[in-house]
Amino acid sequence: MTAIIEARGLSKRYGARPALTDCTLHIPPGHVVGLVGPNGAGKSTLLKLACGLLAPTSGSITVLGGRPGADPAQIAKVAFVAQDAPVYSGLSVADHLRLGAHLNPRWDRAFAEARVRSLGLDPKQKAGKLSGGQRAQLALTLAAGKRPDLLLLDEPVASLDPLARRDFLRHLMETVAEEGTSVVLSSHLISDLERVCDYLIVLAASRVRLVGEVEELTAAHHRIIASRRGADTLPSGLEVVAAEHSERQSTFVVRGVPEAADDWAVEPVGMEDLVLTYMEAGSAAGAGAGAGAGAETGLEATR
Amino acid sequence: MIWLTWRQLRPMLIAAGTVLCAAAVYFIATGVHIRHTYSADLNNCHANCQQVLNDFAASYQNLRALIQLIVQATPALIGIFWGAPLIAVEFERGTHRMVWNQSVTPVRWLAVKLASGALASIVTVGLLSLLFTWWAGPQDKIDTDRFDWNVFGTRDITPIGYALFAFALGALLGLVIHRGVLPAMAATVVVFVGVQVLVATQVRPNLMPAHTATVSVDAQLLSHPVNTTITGSPSGPKVSFKVSPPAGSWKLSQTAVMDGSGAPLPAKAVQDCIEGPSIQSQTDLATCLAPYNPHVGVRYEPASDFWPLQWYETGIHVALAGVLAGLCFWRIRRHRD
Amino acid sequence: MIDFHLDPHSGVAPYLQIVQQVRRALLLGLLAEGDRLPTVKQVVAKIAINPNTVLKAYRDLERQGLVAPRPGLGTFVTKTLAAGPPAEQEPLRRELHAWLERARDAGLTPAGVEALFHTAFRDFTEEADEATKAEEEP
Repeated sequence: MTAIIEARGLSKRYGARPALTDCTLHIPPGHVVGLVGPNGAGKSTLLKLACGLLAPTSGSITVLGGRPGADPAQIAKVAFVAQDAPVYSGLSVADHLRLGAHLNPRWDRAFAEARVRSLGLDPKQKAGKLSGGQRAQLALTLAAGKRPDLLLLDEPVASLDPLARRDFLRHLMETVAEEGTSVVLSSHLISDLERVCDYLIVLAASRVRLVGEVEELTAAHHRIIASRRGADTLPSGLEVVAAEHSERQSTFVVRGVPEAADDWAVEPVGMEDLVLTYMEAGSAAGAGAGAGAGAETGLEATR
Repeated sequence: MIWLTWRQLRPMLIAAGTVLCAAAVYFIATGVHIRHTYSADLNNCHANCQQVLNDFAASYQNLRALIQLIVQATPALIGIFWGAPLIAVEFERGTHRMVWNQSVTPVRWLAVKLASGALASIVTVGLLSLLFTWWAGPQDKIDTDRFDWNVFGTRDITPIGYALFAFALGALLGLVIHRGVLPAMAATVVVFVGVQVLVATQVRPNLMPAHTATVSVDAQLLSHPVNTTITGSPSGPKVSFKVSPPAGSWKLSQTAVMDGSGAPLPAKAVQDCIEGPSIQSQTDLATCLAPYNPHVGVRYEPASDFWPLQWYETGIHVALAGVLAGLCFWRIRRHRD
Repeated sequence: MIDFHLDPHSGVAPYLQIVQQVRRALLLGLLAEGDRLPTVKQVVAKIAINPNTVLKAYRDLERQGLVAPRPGLGTFVTKTLAAGPPAEQEPLRRELHAWLERARDAGLTPAGVEALFHTAFRDFTEEADEATKAEEEP
């Protein structure tokens, strides 16, 4: 199938500092993708590479079959809302909609106006006077109004209060349900995203640590709680992602399906725990600059 | 994009338009009055016309100097308030990330912004210069030093070149200086003023070949005390003469006093003449020095060079503006975010 | 129209929660045959969840034979779940309410009440299964 984002060995450096390293992705369409990772992991960089605001240092990235930012047609297909939802503070809400209509080849005026109405925004209000939540909603309206095939949102709810956050996600899901738009949202907290994401990318220390459909990933990972033992004593066929030992107990997060046994308990791993586990393993691997515990390569759930 | 640029420029254009209208009203109202006074003075003077006209010019001297200052500052203001924030404000607020995603490429975005700002600068400064040059017409006829630094750069077409250059400079500095709008504004002022000084002192005098002339140090020259300066020095009194090139031309430099053969006037001769007991007046000094055939060489640009220099200087600044704009485009293709 | 809610920490997959809520509504008589389920768009606009979750839940319900889509019109309930005649339910509900009051007076926390109920329900179901098995064995 044609991927919405296809990256091969994608890397971006700022001088000596790597922002994204050797990223290989094949993201299928029709998903709401959660891009999670600690601050500085490379989430913004990946999104900006995908919308053409940055050019790769090495490797390649193709979005919806085209090179990001190549021409107005490509820009029209991909919508990007930067962190803090920048808007022109001197222009009113209605002016922003006019901006959208003038600059975009396919602009859905009816949708944008209806959205502004349902949000309760005053069209004459200057955008600089809007609250954080309202600004985020305006930015989302501008992005969705151009009827893109892909929406890229950089930490859209990070600075919003819980009510504004829920409102934003509701309107976003409404757009997805209506138009079938694919979405990639980034956040450093998975709890912001787990309601809405069905595909996951975990970034840590500039590398992809985990990639795949949420359901498959949560089904494929388990937690084994056993008496104190080494990871090599576990049956083969199980990939150990993380291991924790206390005096009498060892806890492993494994990829694979462990059989039930008398001397250990097997538990499922929720999405938040899964993300944290890979983020920790990834950050440690990044700090060690060597092979991590099998979490180094971009692990992809095979389809 | 044009609509958006118009909306973003609108406050500035309204401000400039208001100022221009007020200036136009002022210039036209007072200018007409000045011309009336000038013609009246011309008609009514009989013998002491030069004196009358000088008085006339002197009465408007300060006002002219003040307005000259404003006109001189205008290109710099354009660079600071229209040029520097053009791109820097968008980068500071991050709005470029939003507008570049509204299906307009950075190149087209930059092109429309630069073109609009350039056009606005040309029109604003062009009108201002036109009005002021017309207003100062009578005075400029009397005080014929058109090459004076303050005069040359505030008349006719040179301000337009300066404004375009300042605008492009501000835009480029706003683009490459990533620390915000204020540092970009400060840098624009510094560089612009530096270039103005450089052009006026180093470039302008050398744009066209200078003419040379020799002026004889004779009684007529010496009859104006201001033309003679006698200074004391450890090795004895020294004398220097101030000579003027033909009326209306631009004096570049003059040599020291030379004798008939072209060698510097012997110091002893000068000493003797000055300290001589029979020297009571400048005329006597002239007679005393006459045997040496003293004269001074002077380099100057003739009055007819005024317009060619205006065109050259404007052309240089427009070309510079073009280069800077080109750099803006080059930079924006390479460094997007 | 039924309103859904999502409990992200219940450990139950989101789409299953929707399925369970529809089933519960059917059992309680809040949804009847011929009622229209809210559209995917309506559901996600109310509770911010992934539209695919709702689609999956509706497909699951369709597989269970409880709902059926009618193109252009929506998804409609096709079968009610036998809960016993409504008349029987009210006395049972009253008894349950009285029991809950007694449990609260005895000092049980809500979690304790739930745990007690689940244990008793599980034991009861196991006993019933074993009894059925015993009857079936020759």
